[in-house]
Amino acid sequence: MFTDMNTASLRRRDFLYGLGSSLGAVAMTDLMAKEAAGPLAPKKPMHGPKAKAVIMLFMEGGPSQMDTFDPKPKLNAKHKAESKRSAGLATGFRFYVGSPFKSRKVGQSGLDMSDQWVHLPKVADELCNYRGCQAESLNHPEALFHMNTGSRLGGDPALGSWVNYGLGTINQNLPGYVVMSELALPQGGSRNWSNGFLPAHYQGTRLRPTGSPILDLHAPKHKTREHQRRALDELAFLNQRHAKKHPEHADLAARMESYELAYRMQAEVPGVIDLKKEPEHVREAYGMNKKETAEFGRQCLMARRMVEKGVRFVQIFSGGWDSHDYLERGHSSRIRSVDKPMTALIKDLKERGMLDDTLVIWTGEFGRTPDNNRRGGVYALGRGHNVDAMTMLMAGGGVKKGAIVGATDEIGAEAAEVVHPIRDLHVTLLHLLGLDDNKLTYFHGGRYKQLSQFGGQVIKELIA
Amino acid sequence: MRFTAILLLSFVCKVSALADARQEGERLFSLKVRLILSSKCFACHGEDAKKIKGELNLTSRAGLLKGGESEEPSLVPGKPLKSPLYLAATREHEDDWSVMPPKENDKLSATQLSALKRWVELGAPWPDAKTQARYIVEERAKPVTAEGVLLKTSGGLSEDWTYRRYKPEDVWAFQPLVKPNVPKGTANPIDAFINRKLKVAGFTSAPQADFRTLAKRAYYDLTGLPPTPFEIYQFRLAWDKNPAKAWSVLIDQLLASPHYGERWGQHWLDVARYADTGGYSNDYERSNAWRYRDYVIRAFNSDKPYNEFVIEQIAGDELWEKQPEEKRNPELLVAASFLRMGPWDPAMTLAPQARQIFIDDVVNSVGQTFLSTTMRCLKCHDHKFDPLPTRDYYRMYATFAGTQMAERPAPFLKVENRSGLVQKRAITQRLWNYAKTKYNELYQKQETAARKWYVEHGKEYLDDNARRKLPDEEKPPRHVGLSPEEQGRLKVRMGNEWIWKRRLERYEPMVQGVYNGPTPKSLNARSMRMPNKPGKKVLPVSHILLGGALEAPGEEVSPGVLSALAVPVSTTGPDPYVISDKLQGRRLALAKWIADPKNPLTARSIVNRVWQHHFGKPLAGNPNNFGAKGGKPTHPELLDWLAADFVEHGWKFKRLHRMIMSSATYRQNGSHPRLDKLRNTDPDNALFAYHPPRRLTAEEMRDSLLVSTGELNRALGGFPVMPEINMEVALQPRMIQFSLSPAYQPSRTPTERNRRTIYAYRVRGQADPFLELFNQPNPNNSCEERDSAAVTPQAFTLLNSEVTSDRAIALALRAEKEFDTLHLQVKRVVQLAFGRVPDKVEWERLKQYVTKMQGYHAKHQPEKVIYPKSIIRSLVEEFTGQPFEYEEILPVFENYVPDKKPADVNANTRALADLCLLLLNSNEFIYVY
Repeated sequence: MFTDMNTASLRRRDFLYGLGSSLGAVAMTDLMAKEAAGPLAPKKPMHGPKAKAVIMLFMEGGPSQMDTFDPKPKLNAKHKAESKRSAGLATGFRFYVGSPFKSRKVGQSGLDMSDQWVHLPKVADELCNYRGCQAESLNHPEALFHMNTGSRLGGDPALGSWVNYGLGTINQNLPGYVVMSELALPQGGSRNWSNGFLPAHYQGTRLRPTGSPILDLHAPKHKTREHQRRALDELAFLNQRHAKKHPEHADLAARMESYELAYRMQAEVPGVIDLKKEPEHVREAYGMNKKETAEFGRQCLMARRMVEKGVRFVQIFSGGWDSHDYLERGHSSRIRSVDKPMTALIKDLKERGMLDDTLVIWTGEFGRTPDNNRRGGVYALGRGHNVDAMTMLMAGGGVKKGAIVGATDEIGAEAAEVVHPIRDLHVTLLHLLGLDDNKLTYFHGGRYKQLSQFGGQVIKELIA
Repeated sequence: MRFTAILLLSFVCKVSALADARQEGERLFSLKVRLILSSKCFACHGEDAKKIKGELNLTSRAGLLKGGESEEPSLVPGKPLKSPLYLAATREHEDDWSVMPPKENDKLSATQLSALKRWVELGAPWPDAKTQARYIVEERAKPVTAEGVLLKTSGGLSEDWTYRRYKPEDVWAFQPLVKPNVPKGTANPIDAFINRKLKVAGFTSAPQADFRTLAKRAYYDLTGLPPTPFEIYQFRLAWDKNPAKAWSVLIDQLLASPHYGERWGQHWLDVARYADTGGYSNDYERSNAWRYRDYVIRAFNSDKPYNEFVIEQIAGDELWEKQPEEKRNPELLVAASFLRMGPWDPAMTLAPQARQIFIDDVVNSVGQTFLSTTMRCLKCHDHKFDPLPTRDYYRMYATFAGTQMAERPAPFLKVENRSGLVQKRAITQRLWNYAKTKYNELYQKQETAARKWYVEHGKEYLDDNARRKLPDEEKPPRHVGLSPEEQGRLKVRMGNEWIWKRRLERYEPMVQGVYNGPTPKSLNARSMRMPNKPGKKVLPVSHILLGGALEAPGEEVSPGVLSALAVPVSTTGPDPYVISDKLQGRRLALAKWIADPKNPLTARSIVNRVWQHHFGKPLAGNPNNFGAKGGKPTHPELLDWLAADFVEHGWKFKRLHRMIMSSATYRQNGSHPRLDKLRNTDPDNALFAYHPPRRLTAEEMRDSLLVSTGELNRALGGFPVMPEINMEVALQPRMIQFSLSPAYQPSRTPTERNRRTIYAYRVRGQADPFLELFNQPNPNNSCEERDSAAVTPQAFTLLNSEVTSDRAIALALRAEKEFDTLHLQVKRVVQLAFGRVPDKVEWERLKQYVTKMQGYHAKHQPEKVIYPKSIIRSLVEEFTGQPFEYEEILPVFENYVPDKKPADVNANTRALADLCLLLLNSNEFIYVY
């Protein structure tokens, strides 16, 4: 059974507290930082890991497989022909929708990419395109919950929480699990990165795109950092007197410590997210100088910087992929907004020697259908939600390079080869990080729970 | 001859020994090894001929002897240490044989391993089916064996399950409730049980806590609010005269306080999963859910007997149906809102699945709430550990098969607080009108263009709806006349129109209720109304769904209850655990069965929860799960005594609180003279040898801040209130299906905002960040126990947020108003925050701090806070993939009465507020001892 060190670390804290009351809070927390213990202390993986960190690029809404990386000439030939396919909730007249984009082979390895991808071909030989994954829920929030937490009900621990529970965090001054999204939260909101039944230390911390990056990270402007330090010393005075009256109470030290960590984080976080110091050519490479790529570019660059600083799991949500209609406009604009930044991210990681042990995943919550129903009474050139087929990209972190794994049927309606449910994808991701889903369990509500719910299998075809 | 005889004899002995071994082996196989193989191995090795792993089929002895892809036999009869089957199962020979079964949680227990080993030693005989059956029948005739006891149920999917045995300690909760004798020697029964165990362990209980600690503990435990300094003073006066009397008077006072119901109602709502919205895609408002919240609070305040409370929540509407029409009590309809508390939205879900999701949710919720039984495991298979067959799941499922959701008409009760209705409704109405107007503008623009198209094409105009089904050539293009941005706005305005219309229903005499009837053809969470005409009364038919799949209906089942409890639900039918299949009355029968004094789970369940909220931990470890895998009771007899006593005396909560709180166990100190020793022998305080401290819950934190500043509006009940939440979060857009949800707007005046937190608007898709950070549970899941981990973002919020900064200023202003000198002001704020005056050292140092900060603030001017009256939203439109913008109005800020902000007060007040903020951040404020 996987054990965490809560009890032991509490004891240790008791002991340290005894010292701490004479050494002062700063000295004590220094000690803590050096010899970090506690729920977020780094832990040894269960087996040799291929990846140390994950950057998950989450395309909210469900990108279309046939219009991105999985071309279907047979489908194009059926454009606007009636579809008799029975699937999901579809009712009424349905017709096939050919891809508005041309596809071509790119890189030495000959990966398929629609012509909307202008930059990504440059790193094609680093990528693995997986076509065999199947989702379960047709609706966005449940499907998002499923991809993020392994359960479509919403409320179970997120993948990033499990990873931090299993491996701890490397940099104690930064959150171990960071989430970035547009200003609007994805459907289902913060439940997508909640710690669920795991202790709250493992919840995702959202870095906000505008305003304060972490809610209330800083005091209001009229309170300086010196003012804050003075206040914390005064708080320590109150807390230490209180602790003397309650030597039996172990949580007191932990809570005092959390204030000192907060103080250090205040100093560290702005440094990590301040991109002004990045050279102009890097900012340009990530697309930060152009409106349509600026936001995702900024987030990708931050992701790289955070992984560099020891953040274990970074997730970026980018919405707008739900093209039920006007697919051509919708998808081409979405692709433009992520193409350059994610290409830069992969190149940058590679050049810095970080790609080998950083796993980058690009996925949505499900795929899209080859056909559509009429919307508003007209032929709507878009696609519905599809749980039977989807497409994803992976790079680095021990997955195959320049490879296509699995296949969908000839019109992209259903996964046909190397078919696996989401739980197997989760088990595989954990495996790459040196974690065994069957051992990474937590006792809750009367049973040992795990990310895959009831176990799953590693998708061996993905692994280099 | 003799020689031969001896030889023969020895041969006979050998043969008979061999025969014995064979018999033992066959018996062992039939009773144990067979089950080990089938439960641990067959799923991957034989059950599904198409998916056999490692080419190894273990469903026959021949298969075992043949082995798999390793090309070695899996079994060497007589030699377990040469048999890979055994070696893999030991998990100790990983280099040669990967561990089996692969999942750590599935590993064989020590007894299973030794059975397997012994069987191989005995030559691994695999008798034919008839022989196996003989051994099995023989065994089943014995009521008790070393393996455990049999429990009679309605029967599992297999005979093996039906006749499996249970360790008595694993089925403790299913055993009849018998009131144990109280150990002699101590007056209070609770102390008698606790002391008996302490004595065995060689400890005595901790001494009594001091009067101040006790006062704080009692106030928080019973009302969730701290005592004011004056209340502490009064209690001290009484305590000095007669401690015992003072204590019992205090308990009575607090139990009589209306705040008692708010505190204990909150515990109940945690389990029931209260929220004001439905969750998932649309997160539509459940506009009248607040009436259920208030019902729960009233139930606790009026000390409604728990058995009635149970029955009303499961079958209130059925009781209501039975009342004479002129005397019907609408509160019963409100009570049954309990069944509507789960998250649910049928968007993009087929109707039968949406129904299944609802009924599964209700079955599971009823199980864990009232019976401390997790039903979810039984949905797909017979329970792996508990005597709960999947048949019983589907019997309970059938009980709810005719239960439909609806917003039902239900007149308001006199006691329901509807103050502020007119003003609140006016704001909601205005937002609805705004959305409607904006929508109509765009719609008119579209239709003007459409008219033009019709003129140009020489056709007669048909409106949007009328032309919907025509072929493309015969009508104008979709969204004619609208730019892509306008198309996006049209959709947002339409969504908002739905949302605000729905929110207007808060003020209507309706209830989020249930009724019995056929399932409506279409389900939409936006509007769920009772049909005007009752549909055809077709009785719903229910089946066992194999693997929980609607596509795999098995045997038909009737409505019914859990059979393992041996409490009949019917005395007339052939099966005592089956309910009549009439559409009306199924739930009432189930509810009465749950509330039956003989039901052993019900009383144990609730008494355990009450204990938990007094002592920080329950007697039985998992209040939502009394099964084999839930925590076993530390004091089973005490739990049974409390449960039996509770039932005997009319299922009354207040009596139970009195009994608990008058015990010496409850009044113990937070520390213990032999704490170091106890830490080692009893790290979890399973002996209850001292009273553990606890951190305030999210709601207590906010409520306590408001008590300390004197701002708390103690009004009871009513429409959801909107406290100020972090403004960045309040205004940030939130995705819902097709659109964005409107911004969160706080209530206009401090009096409206500063209500208790239980009345705050609870949105599943948008938690109040302050409350969420302090572990307010996610209302999608039933919460049996709150987390209280100290995480760093809590420090950010308590130190830096406007929510706490505003309270600090309010506290400073209060002290300044009451006292003239800094000396007395410092004393006063400490007293208001901690319920005690500062000692000399503190007093001096804190004064110095404030003085220093006065200098600081004289040089640092804060910025003014400005509330926006409207905001511009931006959203990426799915049609175009491009962002578009639209304006949203925030009428509440037009004549908003904000709290006092730093820029509104002078430097001295800000300095004193700095101190206040630290007090509110300190451990003394946040922990109760």
